[in-house]
Order: sequence, then C-alpha cells, then structure tokens
Amino acid sequence: MSETTFMGVPREQIPWAPTIDYSKCSFCMECDKFCPHQVFERREGEVKLVVAHPTNCVVFCRACSKTCGPDALSFPDKQETFKIIKSLREKAEAQP
Amino acid sequence: MRRYALLPCNGLDKAAGPLTRELALSLMAAGAGEIICPVLSRRAPARYAKLASELPVFAIDGCATRCASRLAGDLRWKVERRLQIAEEAKAAAIALEDSLIPGPVGLALCQKLATTLLADEEAKAPAPAAGGTEADFTTPVEYASFTHDKFLFRVPKEGYFFNENDCWVRVSGNRARVGISDYMQQNLSDLLFCTPAEVGTKIEQFGEAATLESTKAVYELVSPVSGKVVAVNTEAVDNPEIVNQDPYERGWIVELELSDFASERDLLLDGEQYLNLVKKKVAEFRP
Repeated sequence: MSETTFMGVPREQIPWAPTIDYSKCSFCMECDKFCPHQVFERREGEVKLVVAHPTNCVVFCRACSKTCGPDALSFPDKQETFKIIKSLREKAEAQP
Repeated sequence: MRRYALLPCNGLDKAAGPLTRELALSLMAAGAGEIICPVLSRRAPARYAKLASELPVFAIDGCATRCASRLAGDLRWKVERRLQIAEEAKAAAIALEDSLIPGPVGLALCQKLATTLLADEEAKAPAPAAGGTEADFTTPVEYASFTHDKFLFRVPKEGYFFNENDCWVRVSGNRARVGISDYMQQNLSDLLFCTPAEVGTKIEQFGEAATLESTKAVYELVSPVSGKVVAVNTEAVDNPEIVNQDPYERGWIVELELSDFASERDLLLDGEQYLNLVKKKVAEFRP
C-alpha cells in the first residue's frame, strides 16, 4: 500500500506524477524497472507504458526521469507543487 | 594539467552519443589524457586496465542511460569526473541536431565544453574546504534504532530534522548540513557517485541539493531547507561509500547558509516522528 498522506496532506490532492512524452519515449521500460512504487504499468499495443497509478509516485521524487535516456519524462514544477501543499495544509489547519 | 583516462560512451542510438567521441577527441588533442575505447574495453577489459588505474577516469555520457559510467562501474574503475552531453545541452538551452552525424550545433557545444573543462583544470584551486566557519557539527549524536528482519535502521534522537523524502538537516547557528537518512542509504545500497550542487548555488526548500547514484538507482537529494551552498563534503564526493557507512555525520553532503529555517522547520519531522515514518515505510516496502 502506498502512503496516503504527504506532509499531512491527502496524497490524492497533490498533483505530482511523471508525464510521458510519447513522441520521445522508446518504451525501453528503464523507468518502470527502476520505480519501486508501481507508478507505471505496461500495456499491449502501440502505447506500451502508461502512468497508471500517479498517486503512488513519491512527491518531489524525480528519480525515474534520471534513468530515461530519451528524456521523455517530465514532472510538475517543484515550487508550484510546494505552494499547493502549503495552501492545503493551511486550509486543513483553519478547519475546526 | 591533470590528465584523464577519457571514456566516452560513443553511442549510436541518439545524437548525443557521437558527440561524446568528439568531446573526448578534443580533450585528447589538447593533451588532457588518453581515450579508452568503450567497445574494446567491454570485449577486452585488460587492454585498458593499466590506463584506468594510472589515470583518473573521466566518463563522458551522451544521455541519461549513462552507458560510459555504467561500463566503468561494471569494470570496477573509479570514475573521478563525469559529464553528460544531453544534460549540458539542456543546461545551455541548446537543441542538438537530431542526427547521428555531428552537426555544427553539437560540435560547437563540444568545443565549448572542451574549452571550459580545460580552463577549469588549469584554474583548479584546491577543492572547497569541508566545514563552515562559525558552525559546530561535532556534537556527539545519540541514535534511536529499530530492526526489521536483518536490517537495522538508525535515526538521531535530537538535533536533526527530516522531510518525507528521507533527507535530513542538522542546524548550527545560521548554517545547516544536509544528507540522506540511514533508511535511504540502505535502500540505495552501495553508492558509486555523489554529485552535490556547486558552492554558491541557491537552493529552495525541497529543491535538489545533490544527485546520488548507486548500483541500484539514481536519487535526488531533496533539501529539507532553503539556503545557499557554502561547502560540499569533498570526502563524500571522493568516497561516496562514507555516506553508506556514516550517513548522519561523516556522510553529510552539502552545507548551507540558511535563509528561513524558522518557518521551514514547521514543515519538517523531528527524529521521533521520522522514526515512526520509517517504521511505516519499512512495513510497506516491496522490493
């Protein structure tokens, strides 16, 4: 089971996961082989890999992109994500 | 000038591959070392064993697959310097030609990289000293620990703060040292490379403070605090295994001049909270 919160915020509310650029991806599967959190899933057909479980992705981790030869993986901006987390924490704290 | 055993990936899969050869040739022509043929060294490693032991190995990779670095790792050659063409092109906002035949843009980048590397070697001053001026990181550390199967995980009881990305910060005055936790170093297993951010770099909280590469994975050190890099641990760069051996003390990675620790502290875990998180992670870990 993956963690359900990150920094006290429900994980599903944090938009952090890789995006695959299919114009670059060679389906070498290095990212899938590397990621221990089952973020990716292999498929039959033309598109052989998808981001099937984005909320399994560890927030702020971009390690899979460093295994990607064709540079086909991108992530949201860290500071933008951080702002979202902070604002979600503030909202939660403001609630009675 | 320092001379290297130049190991290009010499790949033919992407445009950056052939450029590693061009860069290695430029460096060799300028007297910066001798080239190791990656294909022959795979087939007949003994051919280059002497060279790789006599000169520091400089791995020149084309892309993130890092074939040259991995080849050196396979052959147990210690890499002292590394460069990745695709990364350099990205950093310089250069779009390389989409061709295996090196074009003017790629060749110009190689030339520029060679010039910079050579100038850098010429001007190389002693590496930045470890340790700060007014900071004191020598206080003895007391650890809490727990075991799971045959693994023992340690976490300092006091004086350290953590983020949920398994990185720690130890603060002294307006200085802080940053590193990775015992749990993370065990996850990564034997570290081969430690590449910290350069001295002078400004890092945001949760920004990248270093890249660590092990036999298993590449890992980004997510800085628990913001600040300016004032020192890097050259011992960890030269011998990354000390991060495995002593992740909380000798194995620190960068030292920062803090910018806003008082407010950033609220977003971090103390030792006890982090120990509980590690227990949860270990329980849920699936290799």
